[in-house]
Amino acid sequence: MLFKEDEVARAEAKAVRENAAWYRWTHDLVEVTGPDAERFLDWMLVNTIAGTAVGRGKYTTMLDEDGGIIDDLVVFHKDAGTWWLSTLYGPHMVRWFDAHKGDYDVAYCDITQSWDMYAVQGPNSAQVMNDLVANPVDELKRFQLLETQAAGVPVVVDRGGFTGELGYEVYCAREDSPAIAAAIDEAAGKHGAPRLKTLEVYVRSLPMEKGMALRQDYKGLTPFEANLGWSVHMDKEFFGKEALAAAQEAGAKRAFVGVEIERESYEDIAQNEIVRKRGIPVGICRQMIYGYTVDKNIGFAIVDAKKCPLGTRVTIGPNDSPATLVEAKWC
Amino acid sequence: MALLQHVDTHRGVQTAFGKIIPEKEAYSYCLRTIAAFSANIFQVMRILNDDWEDRTTQITEIANMMNCAACAGGEDQLFQYLDAFYDEWNIPELVKRAAWIGAIWGDYGDEAEDMAGRVIQFTEDRVEKELDTCPWDIVGSEMCNMTTGMFTANFDIAAGGEHGEITNDVQLNMCEARGCGNPHCRVVAERRDTFGLEKQGWLDHRGAAHNPVHDTPPERRVQHGQGLRNGQYTNAFGEENSLEWQYNWVAQMGWVWSISFPLIAIRDMAEDDDEFERILKIVFATAGKNSFIDPFAREGLRNWLDIPRSIGDNDPRVMGAYIGAMLGCQLVPFEWEAFDGEGVEIRVDQETFTGRFEMAPLDEITLGYEAQWNGACHTLVSPEWSVWIEEDDDDFVITVGRKIDDRAL
Repeated sequence: MLFKEDEVARAEAKAVRENAAWYRWTHDLVEVTGPDAERFLDWMLVNTIAGTAVGRGKYTTMLDEDGGIIDDLVVFHKDAGTWWLSTLYGPHMVRWFDAHKGDYDVAYCDITQSWDMYAVQGPNSAQVMNDLVANPVDELKRFQLLETQAAGVPVVVDRGGFTGELGYEVYCAREDSPAIAAAIDEAAGKHGAPRLKTLEVYVRSLPMEKGMALRQDYKGLTPFEANLGWSVHMDKEFFGKEALAAAQEAGAKRAFVGVEIERESYEDIAQNEIVRKRGIPVGICRQMIYGYTVDKNIGFAIVDAKKCPLGTRVTIGPNDSPATLVEAKWC
Repeated sequence: MALLQHVDTHRGVQTAFGKIIPEKEAYSYCLRTIAAFSANIFQVMRILNDDWEDRTTQITEIANMMNCAACAGGEDQLFQYLDAFYDEWNIPELVKRAAWIGAIWGDYGDEAEDMAGRVIQFTEDRVEKELDTCPWDIVGSEMCNMTTGMFTANFDIAAGGEHGEITNDVQLNMCEARGCGNPHCRVVAERRDTFGLEKQGWLDHRGAAHNPVHDTPPERRVQHGQGLRNGQYTNAFGEENSLEWQYNWVAQMGWVWSISFPLIAIRDMAEDDDEFERILKIVFATAGKNSFIDPFAREGLRNWLDIPRSIGDNDPRVMGAYIGAMLGCQLVPFEWEAFDGEGVEIRVDQETFTGRFEMAPLDEITLGYEAQWNGACHTLVSPEWSVWIEEDDDDFVITVGRKIDDRAL
């Protein structure tokens, strides 16, 4: 829960938007290998994974049998035949793979405990990174990997992040983590880039302002309902395709939208609070948060697509907090 | 549009007269009955020990110890326990155990118990939790203090790196408590190293927070937890647990933390078991009698259970139906053995009746409810009728019947 008067959180958000900042951010990592790794991932994920060049990555979703999203992730072709999957919760992914591995000759492992990760984010993040790692990062494309060194130890750098700004993620062996943290702190210090400590600033507030959601926000939606249709390749086979095609044919029943709360704060609104239009339930909300860049209480909601065009005024939660449905992206 | 095939089916507890108590209402009632039992037990404690500081210290310390019991096994056991918790609650690895997990742990328990509120702040250095409601707010100040021992344990367990060592690396304050008259409960945990704070004793947890608190304005406070509002609890990481799950969880665990744990210390406050049980029976009998002193309480119960007017006031079925509804709402399976104007007999499995949470059976449930229901029967029905509980193989038989006792309480 963030409030507009929280000056610490505001300063952290401002640093990312206007300069740079860093923080420890370890989404889980699942490594996939084996002769059928590429074919297996191409089957399990909606984006086209086959043919992804070594050192490059792609965003995709993973669906259940009903065509609903159960995870969203970035797939990196780390080395020839070795794939890294970033997911918010590795054990769930491993269990899902176990259930659907079939005859694929593939191995996968949750390697989260072996690798640590830091994020350097913000318009000046490249300068911080160039002071940190042995090779310049300026030419890296989005989701491109660079194997280099920092503080004398090997690191893997990815141009990416979860703030909507230019940014980088630095992967290192878990035992090297303290040295890397110290090196980032030193490099960031030269540029006045602070370390962020408020989880909700970098997990929720900054991403949400840019329309970036967590996997639980999309739970059960089709990629089309979640505004992620661009990542779906219906011209290939993938798990959940049949149900997704049927859902696409039937048309979107739900819409993934943004909400702007009109009250000063949102203490009475938890995740999955009921959204009402003229007193009638039309959906549920996801988490609310304060956005320091846009200076608004914002959030996501899943609503009846037909009844709730953008601009619809609704109320949310037990105290009927008035809100307006907007596009799920604020800046 | 064609007509419906049938009406929607809703879950609920059926009274002896066929009325359905909706699941949400049954859940609320279950919570309050556990809290009331706890309140009676705390009255026993106050009779046994008239020193507020001493008795509060004892129950707070025992609550901390029992909550830390997860650390009691081998070193790996703690990590397995935490791993399982992370897995169950979808907590990503980025969430530092030492810093935050205590708040995650506490939040789902609060919500399951309809202690409705919000995590105001959730950072590496500070957690602030605000609760607008608490079914246990009738128990009293000792319980408010006791919960700080539990919360401290959560942080101690979560810190977890040093096996068996209580690191107590946060200063934890219940700055406000509904059980003491405040509009909220407010619990703030602040890292001692970050804020330069002193280690606390068991009676030091009711101070002010180091950093300013956020007070939710009245118009944005809530009356119930997420389960009653929205049908499920959703944690910060999107993991959802249904009201049904919460209800079953609290029908077990509510008895453990609010009764079983403090009872360990309270029993030791008595000279012997006989003294403890004598006082317990007196307290519960009085509580039962007072439940139905008011005529509107009796009328309200009849309405709640849908007791027909053909059943008069001096009829054992009124009391039997009340006991049945309480057992049903507490999710205790039972069978009606007899239900007529001559008396009521209810059969329950002994282990289920006393062991709501299997690992912590409470014989005091039998002692307490026998006295409480007997007392209640005398005002709800009449002193001609009594309630007693007898063993029958592996079962208890709860009887509402006529009994003349020249030494009745």
